[in-house]
Amino acid sequence: MTPNKIILIIPAFNEEKSIKDTIELVTKTGYDYIVIDDGSTDKTEQILSENNYNFVSLCFNLGIGGAVQTGYRYALENNYDIAIQFDADGQHDIESIKDLIQPILDNQADFTIGSRFIKKNSSNFKSSFLRRIGIHLISNVIFLFSKNRVYDTTSGFRAANKKVIKYFTENYPKEYPEPISNYELIKFGYKVTEVPVKMHERTAGKSSIHSWKSAYYVINVLLSIFVIKLRRKK
Amino acid sequence: MTTLQIEMAIAATILFIIIITSIAKNRLSIKNSIAWLLLPIIFIIIAIFPDPLQSFAHWLGFETLSNFIFLVIIALLILICFFLTVSNSKQQDEITKLNQEISILKKGQNGKSKS
Repeated sequence: MTPNKIILIIPAFNEEKSIKDTIELVTKTGYDYIVIDDGSTDKTEQILSENNYNFVSLCFNLGIGGAVQTGYRYALENNYDIAIQFDADGQHDIESIKDLIQPILDNQADFTIGSRFIKKNSSNFKSSFLRRIGIHLISNVIFLFSKNRVYDTTSGFRAANKKVIKYFTENYPKEYPEPISNYELIKFGYKVTEVPVKMHERTAGKSSIHSWKSAYYVINVLLSIFVIKLRRKK
Repeated sequence: MTTLQIEMAIAATILFIIIITSIAKNRLSIKNSIAWLLLPIIFIIIAIFPDPLQSFAHWLGFETLSNFIFLVIIALLILICFFLTVSNSKQQDEITKLNQEISILKKGQNGKSKS
């Protein structure tokens, strides 16, 4: 069996405080990585450039969806077999990557989601009450539509095989990409599996989901899922 | 012809000339001009033949012809506006893709590669 080429996609928007630690950590483990600097206005690009890290700097800010998609595009063009989305803010646990990609290596899944909510592994991560309600609601709607249960629909710690890398290069939601793309993959017949992982409290930076935007987030995601439900398979 | 009809015909002609010159000067593509050309053409037809339209409007249940004209024009404007949003969304997608491709290309040129 040929060894799989694996790459970590690390989107970074104004992550000057945490980007260096995260990349040092990744380099130690020996994974390939690509940082996508999403038009940061702080010193992120300078840090990336000075330390000679492997990065792509977008011409202007695209938002999280467009940034991650750039990573998938890069992975496809450089012929990687597995791409893993990894946060720049130290929230994701590097040790959990081998658990995350195992189902893909075993050909059991096309796409895996690192989950905070499946038991087994104890997680340090606690999210707010309202946020959990929102995630739960989205999770239920996805289950209703697809008969597949995804517990942690908003997790940004995910791994994709080559088929999914290709699919994401063509279609990736711009806003709130995680839950929407999870449903999209399930609907179009990709095998999606959830894997329990550890997550840490973010060391720096804020979640892209702010409290007062949560309601808008949930409505937007549910609407997108309804629309995708109506879409035919290409 | 009533004054109203003459005014309408003049307004429509001016609009028509503006559109045609814009196309001639390449400020407006022919593809995008069709909807806009419909507007003055409808205006002129209404100005010249108000009577059949009047009966038609009554038949549809409109009290006056002006109400009917307003409705038709607003509907047309909404349509134009909608298709503008559609083409805007498409352009956003294309610009996103260009941004991604150019950024990846730029990286390749700088020769900043790991390993």
